Amino acid sequence: MSYDYHRPRSLAEALDIAAATPGARFVAGGTDLMVQIHKRAAAPAALISLRHVAELGGIDNGARLRIGSSVTLTELQAEPAVAAGYPALIDSMRPFGSRQIRNMATLGGNLCNASPGADAAPPLLVYDAVVELRDRAGAREMALEEFFVGPGETALAPGEVMTAILLPPRAGDVRSVYLRKARVKMDVATVSVAALVEMEEGSCVRARLAAGAVAPVPKRLRDTEGLLVGSPLDDATIARVSTAAADEISPITDVRSTADYRRHLTGVLLRRALERLRAAPGEGVL
Amino acid sequence: MREEVAFRLNGHDVAVEVDVHRTLLDVLRDVLGEMGTKEGCGEGECGACTVLVDDAAVVSCLYPVCEADGTSVTTVEGLFEPGGELSPVQTAYLEFGGTQCGFCTPGMIMASVALLAENPDPSEEEIRYALTGNLCRCTGYVQIVESVRAAAELMMERPA
Repeated sequence: MSYDYHRPRSLAEALDIAAATPGARFVAGGTDLMVQIHKRAAAPAALISLRHVAELGGIDNGARLRIGSSVTLTELQAEPAVAAGYPALIDSMRPFGSRQIRNMATLGGNLCNASPGADAAPPLLVYDAVVELRDRAGAREMALEEFFVGPGETALAPGEVMTAILLPPRAGDVRSVYLRKARVKMDVATVSVAALVEMEEGSCVRARLAAGAVAPVPKRLRDTEGLLVGSPLDDATIARVSTAAADEISPITDVRSTADYRRHLTGVLLRRALERLRAAPGEGVL
Repeated sequence: MREEVAFRLNGHDVAVEVDVHRTLLDVLRDVLGEMGTKEGCGEGECGACTVLVDDAAVVSCLYPVCEADGTSVTTVEGLFEPGGELSPVQTAYLEFGGTQCGFCTPGMIMASVALLAENPDPSEEEIRYALTGNLCRCTGYVQIVESVRAAAELMMERPA
């Protein structure tokens, strides 16, 4: 369980080390990877720390909100621009691990670890997040939905780093919420959901639904969200949506829950989420 | 691969040459002999190994020792008052029975210190939330929460 440890100061240096070091892994907060190493589920030849890479830190509220991939969850929780525009993302941080974990863990790390239950993923999916990836050849952008390939698998190429998470600006009567259910505090979610609606004259003109821990990847529920568009958030619509979601997910039975319970819970959480959005004030976000 | 790592530990400069794959917890206990910080689960779940790095509570079992380079680390050994007295948080844990077997106590205390530095007058709910990452298998949490509340009151009574 011995490995080298590199602490590059710039992105160029980090990418060069990765190219020159077979079997190296990038690490940010380490709250997932260090556990895997301790359990001998991962045995990297070297770790390349991203904590000191200046380009990966900071939050920039420009045309899009740009969150550096190495921003810690504690930093994210304290950011007014996130709280104001993307409240479901803030909601997902509250039950995330513990304070000690949030002080270390990063937003990019949560996504790159690619757990199907990654807490930050459902909110970012409903906000149409884009991730910025970079290797020595250059940068590319990708919808977060495309980034998740399978449990623990992402679209990152070898030697490529996630540099930022980009969120489009909020406009109109957009409301969003995140709900999760877990057995006890500190446990990963049994099921989590995020919902976003844009309302115009009592009718939903845009909808996004996403769920965690119910499919091999954090999943945007495209078919189900389509049922909301053009409808009011009335009981009949909400009932239809919460039933339909079961057809779009593929939960498994594991130590936390049976597949059947996860399917049931997804519907319940979606119903509660949409009821909350209906109750939200006409302007602004929940 | 070995490297020299230098940091402030409880107000004193330390420099150690270490294997780079070691954790801060390992080095605190096995190299520097600071045995107050405990290893519970080794997976970041139980909080027994909580220390402060630049005033932020972290789980030292997952903290690569190299990342401590250039930082200021505080462990439970660093909480004594200038005259060698126990700190208010330690005093309150003793008085209010916030410790039983004692294994979780250093981590509980460090998480409590971090909370009170940020929020000097926390509610019960805020205390429970701040201690989510610290598990006690003896007392339950009622006396621990009371201890933190008492520590808050002790600290607020003191002249600034």
